[in-house]
Amino acid sequence: MSVTKTYLPKRFHQAVVKWQETYLPDFDFLLDNWDKYFPQDTRFELCAFREMGMCSEVECGDRKGKPKFQQAAEMEPQQGGHLLGALKAQASTEFGSIQQHQLTLARAQNEEEQFWILRMMAEELRHGYQMFHLLLEDDWSDVTDQSGPDMVEEILSMQTGSHILGAFNVDFDSFIDNVTFCALIDRVGKYQLSMQRISAYKPMAESMPQMLREEAFHLAAGVVPLRRWMEKAARDSVYITTNDIQKAINKWLPRGLEMFGDERGGGTNVRYGLKPMKNAEAQEQYYQEVGKVVRDLNMRFIRARLPELSLSEAESLLEKLLVDGGSSRGISWEELVHVPHREFFRRRGVPAFKMVGWAGEDFDDAEAYLRHLTRHLPDGYRAGRDFRDYAQMLRRVDSGELTGDEAGRTMPSLRRVGGVCPCSRAVRWVAEEPHGNGSGGNREARR
Amino acid sequence: MTESETVVQIRQLEDTDIGGITALDEKIGGEYRPEVWERRITYYLRRDPEALVVAEADGKVVGFMLGEVRSGDFGLEEPTGWIEVMGVDPDLRGKAIGRRLAERMLDHFQSQGASSVRTLVDETMTEITGFFGSLGFEPAPLRSFVKNL
Ligand SMILES: CC(C)(COP(=O)(O)OP(=O)(O)OC[C@H]1O[C@@H](n2cnc3c(N)ncnc32)[C@H](O)[C@@H]1OP(=O)(O)O)[C@@H](O)C(=O)NCCC(=O)NCCS
Ligand SMILES: [Fe+2]
Ligand SMILES: [Fe+2]
Repeated sequence: MSVTKTYLPKRFHQAVVKWQETYLPDFDFLLDNWDKYFPQDTRFELCAFREMGMCSEVECGDRKGKPKFQQAAEMEPQQGGHLLGALKAQASTEFGSIQQHQLTLARAQNEEEQFWILRMMAEELRHGYQMFHLLLEDDWSDVTDQSGPDMVEEILSMQTGSHILGAFNVDFDSFIDNVTFCALIDRVGKYQLSMQRISAYKPMAESMPQMLREEAFHLAAGVVPLRRWMEKAARDSVYITTNDIQKAINKWLPRGLEMFGDERGGGTNVRYGLKPMKNAEAQEQYYQEVGKVVRDLNMRFIRARLPELSLSEAESLLEKLLVDGGSSRGISWEELVHVPHREFFRRRGVPAFKMVGWAGEDFDDAEAYLRHLTRHLPDGYRAGRDFRDYAQMLRRVDSGELTGDEAGRTMPSLRRVGGVCPCSRAVRWVAEEPHGNGSGGNREARR
Repeated sequence: MTESETVVQIRQLEDTDIGGITALDEKIGGEYRPEVWERRITYYLRRDPEALVVAEADGKVVGFMLGEVRSGDFGLEEPTGWIEVMGVDPDLRGKAIGRRLAERMLDHFQSQGASSVRTLVDETMTEITGFFGSLGFEPAPLRSFVKNL
């Protein structure tokens, strides 16, 4: 299979470079020191890649077996609209994650781990660039009134708080977030990209293979530092405790689960041939996979703490601790990390604002639930605006003013209005209007 | 196939296999080396993740093979596939797991434009020379030299 390489028209390429200078100022440092950490690896380049020779027939849904679409204009407007929504949401996540990582990148204690994150950020920039390539190569005028340049500009002017998906509107509080985000949120990205690899819109499908290759490293850049930290924590390191890691998981996993969209939805994407799985099915696979990550982290911890145990003895000890709770051989259940209940701290989808506790317990009082959350979330996060917004909305749901569904859709977010300069920061607060759920779960960006 | 026979699935390696590969390596070699596999797998994942394969049975990693296509090594300018590290669960050897891992990796090498695949084997390890021999590998006139420092 061969890969083609293209660049955006000059002014858009320059707009992305300008954005990079603002939000990824260490980019040059990465390139200057590339060989120190990645000797022999192909050097990073800001460009779009398309895989040639991929399947030419629609792979699922109503048009299965028919030729794939080469252009948006060949699609039904509704189908094209759906695709465009996903494309813009994808672009927003790529740029959004860089803004988040930049907040705490400098706080890493280990230079190698920091450099891995930096490379990952550069690759996210390329992913955003790839999505712009799709937005600008095609004519979307049957689907939207917004011009290509306007779509690009809208995405480049989004900030943490005005991105399309919730996970990208949450500030990072420490380098633990950089790493946990890679392990949990980039993992959702892997699912989305794998599903879009079969997209009935061929340019989308062709964009996925290279992005997926890069994503494989992003997951390792999350999981490997977590494993090392578990090992250090087992040796009583004073730096990162397993409790810190647990709280970061609690912060990010609910947002990750919501990135799959409403649990009742996704059927439209399958019918349109854009993705092979409905939301709930993909979300379930993801949840199981996170369980596997967490189990491995615990094994890493136990074996570091009790090196005298054999593999099977360590496995038995882990089983015992997970089943019985309590402690055994000097390790307590609390010292291990665990996957929170899938309805814990949710604000979108079926369990939106349902007040389900970390272990699945039910709460019927908002204040008691918020106190429960404060015990399970990182301190820095609780002091931030995302948690405040959530708490305010929860109280309104609890008082009967809003349903959970309505609250999920009306979480206020910063949205940009007007302005033509790609680095415009003009934003205002708008509340999203409720719209029917169950179709996809990606909130369409609106002007 | 009898009921007692395990179904072995060959698939692309994922970051979540680090623990499983570490455990398999320990079973083969008797030593627990998590740092080695964390580093090694991260290296391969950032280069060509599609080249990396594992065999899975009952949710456990029972085989793996790591390698990549490179050009320019040892004066070999054309793209060449290199099989570099592998292992199959000692309890499941002789069931074509190694062969299936290699077939998938070689298919990938071919799709990446490699016209040959190479590996380095210690001649005294007859199990491995036997394995590659059965797969159609022949001794190549490229000798490895070593000097202790
Ligand atoms: C070598 C190894 C990968 C073979 O795996 P396997 O799943 O048992 O092999 P397969 O069943 O797929 O066998 C494929 C072929 O190799 C041959 N083969 C396998 N083991 C052999 C041996 N010990 N001696 C001779 N031939 C052998 C088989 O006969 C078969 O040939 P056939 O198909 O013509 O009958 C496995 O034994 C292993 O992991 N060894 C240790 C690897 C190691 O030390 N790794 C560290 C250094 S990289
Ligand atoms: Fe990405
Ligand atoms: Fe990523």
